Amino acid sequence: MKIGVYFCNCGTNISDKVDSGQVGQKIEGIENVSYFKTLELMCSEEGKEFLHNDLIGEKPDRVVFAACSPREHENTFMRILSGADMNPYLMQMVNIREQVAWVTEDKDKATAKAANFIKGAIKRVSFHKPLEKKSIEMSPDVLIIGAGPAGLKAALTIAETGRKVTLVEKRPVVGGQPVLYEDVFPNLECAPCMLEPMLNEILHGEHAENIEILTMSEVIDLSGFYGNFIAKIRKSPRFVDKEQCIGCGECIGVCPVAVKNEFNNGLDDRKAISLSFAGGLPNVPFIDMKACLRAKVAAPSAEVAATPAENEDCRLCDQSCPLGEGIIKFDDEEEVIEKHMGAIIVAVGASLYDAGLIPGLGYGKIPDVYTAFEFERLLSSSGPTGGELKTRSGSTPESIAIIHCVGSLDSNHKEYCSGICCQYAFKFNLMIEHKLHDARVHHLYKELVYPGKEEYLLYKRAKENPNASFTRYSSIDTIGINSEDGRVRVKNTESGKEALIADMVVLCPAMVPTKGSGKLGELLDTTNDMFGFFEELHGRLDSARSKVRGIYLAGTCQSPMNIQQAITQGMAAAGYVLAGLVEGKKLDVEPITAAVDEDRCAGCRICMTVCPYKAIGFDMEKQKASVNEVLCLGCGTCVAACPAGAMSSNHFTNDAIYAEIEGVLA
Amino acid sequence: MNEDNVNRDNVPGCCNTGLESESEPELKFKFESEFEPKIVGFLCNWCSYAGADKAGGSQKSYPPNVNVIKVMCSGRVDPQFVLKAYAAGADGVLILACHPGDCHYKEGNYRALQRHRMLLRMLNQLGIGSERCRFDYVSAGEGDRFVKILTEMVDTIRTLGPINRPGLNNIDEYSSEKRSENGYSIIGS
Ligand SMILES: Cc1cc2nc3c(=O)[nH]c(=O)nc-3n(C[C@H](O)[C@H](O)[C@H](O)COP(=O)(O)OP(=O)(O)OC[C@H]3O[C@@H](n4cnc5c(N)ncnc54)[C@H](O)[C@@H]3O)c2cc1C
Repeated sequence: MKIGVYFCNCGTNISDKVDSGQVGQKIEGIENVSYFKTLELMCSEEGKEFLHNDLIGEKPDRVVFAACSPREHENTFMRILSGADMNPYLMQMVNIREQVAWVTEDKDKATAKAANFIKGAIKRVSFHKPLEKKSIEMSPDVLIIGAGPAGLKAALTIAETGRKVTLVEKRPVVGGQPVLYEDVFPNLECAPCMLEPMLNEILHGEHAENIEILTMSEVIDLSGFYGNFIAKIRKSPRFVDKEQCIGCGECIGVCPVAVKNEFNNGLDDRKAISLSFAGGLPNVPFIDMKACLRAKVAAPSAEVAATPAENEDCRLCDQSCPLGEGIIKFDDEEEVIEKHMGAIIVAVGASLYDAGLIPGLGYGKIPDVYTAFEFERLLSSSGPTGGELKTRSGSTPESIAIIHCVGSLDSNHKEYCSGICCQYAFKFNLMIEHKLHDARVHHLYKELVYPGKEEYLLYKRAKENPNASFTRYSSIDTIGINSEDGRVRVKNTESGKEALIADMVVLCPAMVPTKGSGKLGELLDTTNDMFGFFEELHGRLDSARSKVRGIYLAGTCQSPMNIQQAITQGMAAAGYVLAGLVEGKKLDVEPITAAVDEDRCAGCRICMTVCPYKAIGFDMEKQKASVNEVLCLGCGTCVAACPAGAMSSNHFTNDAIYAEIEGVLA
Repeated sequence: MNEDNVNRDNVPGCCNTGLESESEPELKFKFESEFEPKIVGFLCNWCSYAGADKAGGSQKSYPPNVNVIKVMCSGRVDPQFVLKAYAAGADGVLILACHPGDCHYKEGNYRALQRHRMLLRMLNQLGIGSERCRFDYVSAGEGDRFVKILTEMVDTIRTLGPINRPGLNNIDEYSSEKRSENGYSIIGS
């Protein structure tokens, strides 16, 4: 074996402290070292050219570069090797600048230390094996879970480049939470009008054919890895032909069954065949088979309000359809669809902290205590009251209390600020003023926040409402809500003041991970943060990436945020997808991974338990571990753990490290 | 223990102590009297190696006794590497990892910590002594911390003196005799 050693003076950065002549003498005679050459500045154009030509001329089997930190120029020298027709892994860099010359006062000591490092590298490099980057075909298609603002924007951005997107939404409509709002902060813009163009673009726009929307669907299984995921999606039957239905709603009027309407948070009823809400897209009704008279369920679901006798033969909806038979499809069935895709964007949104967990607030017991979501629906023209603000008993409220920070900033509940609640509370204030000119609005808050360039102005407007008051409380436990004489009393026990009399109370609870996101996370193998949100790869640098390669995050499933931020994060996730998964491009798989020696593997599976990436699989038939080279990131933890010595890590083999240890100590 | 009070400035060639090659036999004696610890440092690629570079970037000088071996993750440090280092002549071993929660590979540093705990017990049983193997955390930004830990380690080993290692390596007759005269414990005996 012929080993060549190149020594870089790095201008005077290295030569000031390390004497290349002496180093040359110290390594003289070491087995296999065929030459030692000193260059002034190896990374300069002349330096690189010299190396290129010299490697071609000398034809060494292995090369050692004593220069700066490999974090600086390892890639540069690997490329030079490649350019000279050598395998780039057949070299070792020695860090004699950052870790020797710059940190050692005494010149002789520095020279000796540099020689030790170089001896280690010489010993090590002879164990280097040529490694090849493998490349694997990738599917350019993308799966997006959740069709709220974040998921929709991501889908649109990707579809605009001509790429195929499957958008899985568990509800019968797309648009996420904001389609249920009347107006959105900060400018009190009409929410449906704001979202409509984007929804239209998704459903009927120029790139709509690239987006397959699966409503009433959920991902139930996922296997594979970046570039090649396979997802199983369960699509519940809608019982209405989505392609042919014109959304006239004739069928809905004739349906005899009424059930609680979940789109209005149960504040009113809907029919067994129903549109989600007026204007919901796609504008196609669905049949809730649990409620439909045709359902052969013995006990009708508890939510069924009025239950005419079960009737297998009821076809009222079908008969009323102006398009005739076949639009209503009673025989529609659940489907499990399998999709192959390269990347996944999770955008399943968030929900609200359960206000029932703070019993003093009376939520669930006092009828006119609402969550912010419920109040949004009361304000909405597509909501249960058509946008009229009324108490449950039907009267117009004279006074409304808005409790901020419910379960937020509180070590007994959620120790964070969701950041958006103050904004929508100010929005509510202005909408109440707009709808009921004289109604009083009482804000009770722990902290008020209005960061950003528009939020303070919104606060100012809310503050300028002559009927508004703002009172601070220190702990949610000091707030007691009771009902008396048909009105609600809000008592702040610490203020010593009279209880507030309100006709409605709106609670603004912390934003929390949506139900089922834990289960989805398990399925995707992503991690959760301390609050249960999908955990990002890095809070500052990579908040749109999960810790699983190829799975990206967007919107409130990652952290509480407003629509603007959710949309931006949707685009960020799309950006990652488009940059990484390029049509026709293969996935480069780094060769520095673990590898199993099957002859030695005893099948104990310890490696599987220590692998942080689930990169080790188990071949049941052979009873041997196997490494997935795409998922393996080459940390080597399994190698150190294997009791049989059956695991090795490419480029960091035991032999190479032992040799380096001997070399530096020689 | 070792005659550390000798004024080094007066000992010719002492700067090479611990590092000199076979061709300089006349320095052997000075090597003994001027004990320069040999330490192997296993540094993870992402945090501690970068921390060492950071110390370099800010030109902080520190003792030259630590020979750095880079691994991708502290979780790669097989306890056998540590034993190998002692056998090959190291007087101490340093394992540096990312801080808890910061591991580039999520949890390799926790594995390294577990293995280190186990190793310490074994080192005591072997008579090497647990003080000779230190595990610590250095982030990519902590150049100062790197220098501090490294300097402490060198001081610790300097105070402990060389390992007595007959049977573990091919240390020459003279020095092993000399060491047992000095009353050092002998591994394996
Ligand atoms: C009361 C209230 C008022 C607000 N008002 C405003 C406002 O005025 N202006 C503003 O900027 N922001 C407002 N926000 C914040 C805004 O709602 C969020 O920023 C926005 O909804 C985030 O969008 P998203 O796409 O991340 O999630 P979402 O809008 O929650 O959408 C998530 C979608 O994923 C679907 N989904 C969930 N789980 C699954 C699953 N397992 N499989 C498939 N699909 C799933 C859901 O059905 C939903 O359609 C308000 C928030 C609240 C609570």
